[in-house]
Amino acid sequence: MSEEINDITMTSTEADSSQTHGHEGNSNPATEDTASNSAATPAGSEGQASRQSNLQRIQQRKEQVFNWPHSKKLLKLAIYSACQTPDCTCNGWKTPVTQQTPKSNTRQETQPPASFNDPCRNCNHILEKHATHLQGLPVTEVNRLLGAVVDVENIFMSMHREDDHDTKRVYYYLFKLLRKCILTRTQPRIEGPLGQPPFERPSIAKAITNFVLYKFHTLPQREWQTMYDLAKMFLHCFNHWNFEAPSVRKLQVSNPEDISAYQINFTRWLVFCHVPAFCDSLPHYETSLVFGRTLLRAVFKSVCRQLMDKCHSERDRMPPEKRVLVLTHFPRFLALLEEEIFSANSPIWDPDFKQMPPNHHLQAILENKTTRRGEFERVTPSGESKDGFTTVSLSSGSIKQEGVRDGKRGRSAEPPAGAKRRRVADEAADDVSERTVADIVATISDPNYMCGPDALFQMQAPRDEAAKLEEQRKMIEFHVIGNSLTGAVNKQTMLWLIGLHNVFSHQLPEMTKEYISQLVFDPKHKTLALIKEGRPIGGICFRTFHSQGFSEIVFCAVTSNEQVKGYGTHLMNHLKDYHIRNNILHFLTFADEFAIGYFKKQGFSKDIKLPRAMYQGYIKDYEGATLMHCELNPRIVYTQFTSVIRKQKEIVKKLIDMRQKEVRKIHPGLTCFKDGVRSIPVECIPGLRDTGWRAAPRAAAADPDPDADLAALRNVLHQVKNHAAAWPFLKPVDKAEVPDYYDHIKYPMDLRTMGERLKSRYYVAKRLFIADMTRIFTNCRLYNSPDTDYYRCANTLEKYFQTKMKEAGLWDK
Amino acid sequence: MPLTADVAAQQVQERLRALHRLVYDIEAERSHNEQCIDNILRAEKAAESPSNAEDSSGSSQQQAQLKNLYKAGLTAAEQEERLLRAALTRIYEIRAIKNERRMQARHAGNKETIGCGALMKMLLSAAQTLPLHVGRVGERAPPLCGAVPADAGHIAHPGDAVAALVRVSEKEENWILAEVVSWLPAQGKYEVDDIDEEQKNRHTLSKRRVVPLPLMRADPRTDEHALFPKGAVVMALYPQTTCFYRAVVNRLPSNAADPYEVLFEDSSYADGYSPPERVAQRYVIAIKEGKGRAT
Repeated sequence: MSEEINDITMTSTEADSSQTHGHEGNSNPATEDTASNSAATPAGSEGQASRQSNLQRIQQRKEQVFNWPHSKKLLKLAIYSACQTPDCTCNGWKTPVTQQTPKSNTRQETQPPASFNDPCRNCNHILEKHATHLQGLPVTEVNRLLGAVVDVENIFMSMHREDDHDTKRVYYYLFKLLRKCILTRTQPRIEGPLGQPPFERPSIAKAITNFVLYKFHTLPQREWQTMYDLAKMFLHCFNHWNFEAPSVRKLQVSNPEDISAYQINFTRWLVFCHVPAFCDSLPHYETSLVFGRTLLRAVFKSVCRQLMDKCHSERDRMPPEKRVLVLTHFPRFLALLEEEIFSANSPIWDPDFKQMPPNHHLQAILENKTTRRGEFERVTPSGESKDGFTTVSLSSGSIKQEGVRDGKRGRSAEPPAGAKRRRVADEAADDVSERTVADIVATISDPNYMCGPDALFQMQAPRDEAAKLEEQRKMIEFHVIGNSLTGAVNKQTMLWLIGLHNVFSHQLPEMTKEYISQLVFDPKHKTLALIKEGRPIGGICFRTFHSQGFSEIVFCAVTSNEQVKGYGTHLMNHLKDYHIRNNILHFLTFADEFAIGYFKKQGFSKDIKLPRAMYQGYIKDYEGATLMHCELNPRIVYTQFTSVIRKQKEIVKKLIDMRQKEVRKIHPGLTCFKDGVRSIPVECIPGLRDTGWRAAPRAAAADPDPDADLAALRNVLHQVKNHAAAWPFLKPVDKAEVPDYYDHIKYPMDLRTMGERLKSRYYVAKRLFIADMTRIFTNCRLYNSPDTDYYRCANTLEKYFQTKMKEAGLWDK
Repeated sequence: MPLTADVAAQQVQERLRALHRLVYDIEAERSHNEQCIDNILRAEKAAESPSNAEDSSGSSQQQAQLKNLYKAGLTAAEQEERLLRAALTRIYEIRAIKNERRMQARHAGNKETIGCGALMKMLLSAAQTLPLHVGRVGERAPPLCGAVPADAGHIAHPGDAVAALVRVSEKEENWILAEVVSWLPAQGKYEVDDIDEEQKNRHTLSKRRVVPLPLMRADPRTDEHALFPKGAVVMALYPQTTCFYRAVVNRLPSNAADPYEVLFEDSSYADGYSPPERVAQRYVIAIKEGKGRAT
């Protein structure tokens, strides 16, 4: 090794001695103050400054080299290039022996520059032979190679100065790598046991972002911004940090495992982050983007200490506002961060951590719960069962709600409805105050609130209300269970699986028992079980395809005497929440004719939005069944969905009531229509504006080209008119022919009237057009009995109409 | 007269006020009764004490006094019973108003579509709040109390719940839970509505295809004869459905609020019967043998 290096040194110094003279000493890489003695010199001002100037010098040096005459560039590259003479194995031109004199400054000055005719000391072929292949190369490529040459020389110098043995070896490795790349004119690629970045997920940068969102999302915008800035500052420092060599670290840390882990990460850092920072021919990665928790944990304490030391030493030079930021907020920020970094189950390291804007409180609540209680939306192995692997208990939504109410900040304790409104408040200043919302929430949560006359009779409760109540009272439980062929499955799980098997086979008589066993006891399938009085009374058997991002629902049943109690809906909602936690956002299922209704109610649709390639060949296909799809929205907590919506509805109703009380005033009726005015703009109606009504600002945006739509509608109307089944609807019904028609039909409509309306630009929105057309058909079916031709025409024409609308892209139902 | 929600609420409020008063009256009457009983007990004790046994005039005087006390006690007890029955009547009136209101809404056609779950809840509560027959001493349970069948000439009233045998397909007939709309005397037929509004079918059925459900619950402690015996083959409403199926009584209700426990005939189980299911008295009826039998 040493011999070769020596050779290079000499040749490189000699070959361009005149240019590098007096320059070489400080064209050394940034390492001089860094890697080797970083423990002593943190990223302090001097360190940073000299690092900056080093980087600058390297850039200047490269610029200089790039500006050389072409021949000189080739002379330089020849030193690193293989001799092109056939069968010659020499891989770098070397100064002839005759010129070889003892190395000294004086000699360097006097040494004449090499020329293309000088023979190589190694192979005796002239220098030109080492450069023939470079002649035709484009300038950019030549410059790229020259940049690499500069980097090789810099790495060489760094290696020379490096005291740490292991670090020295890393430099040598990079040195050889780059040399080889110049020789072969390829891009450097670092391969081997170090692996490729990123080395850990989530990255430090991601985790810090998560941390800011998680810890500070409740803060007002400005304070949140401060925290965000601190996070950016921290990451910036981290990216430019010089880590201490493992040998230095050995003195402080005793755990050998930690040492070896750090050694690997340190080497990775050298190779992928640190050296490439000044040798730009190597691929460079930001430290915070490719490393994760392990590295941050290893270095966090020393980084913090040094960072704060530095801050204090520089306090007098900072502008006042920065001083406040750094000296008051930063220590607190670091302390909180430290807690999360060393905590065993901090959510900031959760790869599925959902990133949301800070003021999105619905999600915020979810996150709060995830961590404060450790039970919300989080898969926790059930306490009693030993094999958490196969059994997962799910906790109820309502308990989670309490978790938030305990939250220290009033803001996060408010229901999402209020939060949503508040977000609007940022945009429009005239929104209701938080106080009002809080008052309303207090009113509607009051058990006496619903005691109107209606309360005596039928209460329209959401479908899953009763089931939720039972879960709250611990009358029913939900568990995700599954068989395992590798781990032990406890008896309870097995008994439940058998119970579920019985439920499925009784409720799904068209499936054979064998088939059901095959899937329920398959370790790839899991079943969300509904347990009542210790026995499973229903469940959903599913299989998740993680690589495809969806779950297939295989069986779904509730035992017959427990049906229509909302269990099915609540089961599905639990399944949805469970999947969101596991970052699976699609359900697919083959529904038979009896199940389609159920799945529709649960948000499934026959319209499959998932690309076919995602599921084809993965899911079981059933003859005569309909494939249905449901996409989950990760921002919704499905088990709480109905109650949230109901609250929102109540709040809006109350707000309307309040507003109505404020503006109660009776206006005299409009008279302008009597005077022959056909229409007036809505906003001209007196008093309307006072109620808070605003013209929909999006009307124009949603309908960018009314003329285009108009043409499309005209086209559809034309086609409908010409259809064979259109004859009964072409003109208004004649009262002379059908005397009682207008007694029954209050809102007559026909295709001619529609044509007139179209011409007069009445159809400003397509829904008006659709409404009129639909009116024709409903009128017809209302007046005529199903066995008439008219009735059949209405059905036929309606189908035709819908098809045409869909073809024109005007049907979005 | 249309029974609007407001009118209904007002009527219910009146009943509730009456009930409120009655509760106080009952309490007053109850303490009065207690006093009477105390007096009687004391007088009885005095009459039994040996010191006074010899004094015959005193004894007859005591007997007369005791007789008066008994009479007073009887009247008080009757008064309390009257009040209790009055209170019960108010409760049943409220129940009737609610039912009336529901039917009105239904017939008005403005269907606040009752969800399936809500319907089941309604059926359960209707069974739980079915009036309890509280017979007087020696009185036998009347027709349509518990298992006692209706009289031969009985015509169900509009709004009464019945089991109706309807044809659901070419081959199949089902006993469904329905509500009487009207009785057509000329044809000897009932018009009934499926209780499940989603089916929205009105059926016109001959009398023998319609079996009225009990109008009162029987109390097993006083009217055991008005309950089906264990082992009886009955028609029972399958839980969480609106259809009646053949079943065998497995256990009788232990008190007035308790349901029957029955085993449904179900060939999907090895022994031909389902596990025990609990079905309220209102939904357990005698099986109709003969032509119109359920399959």
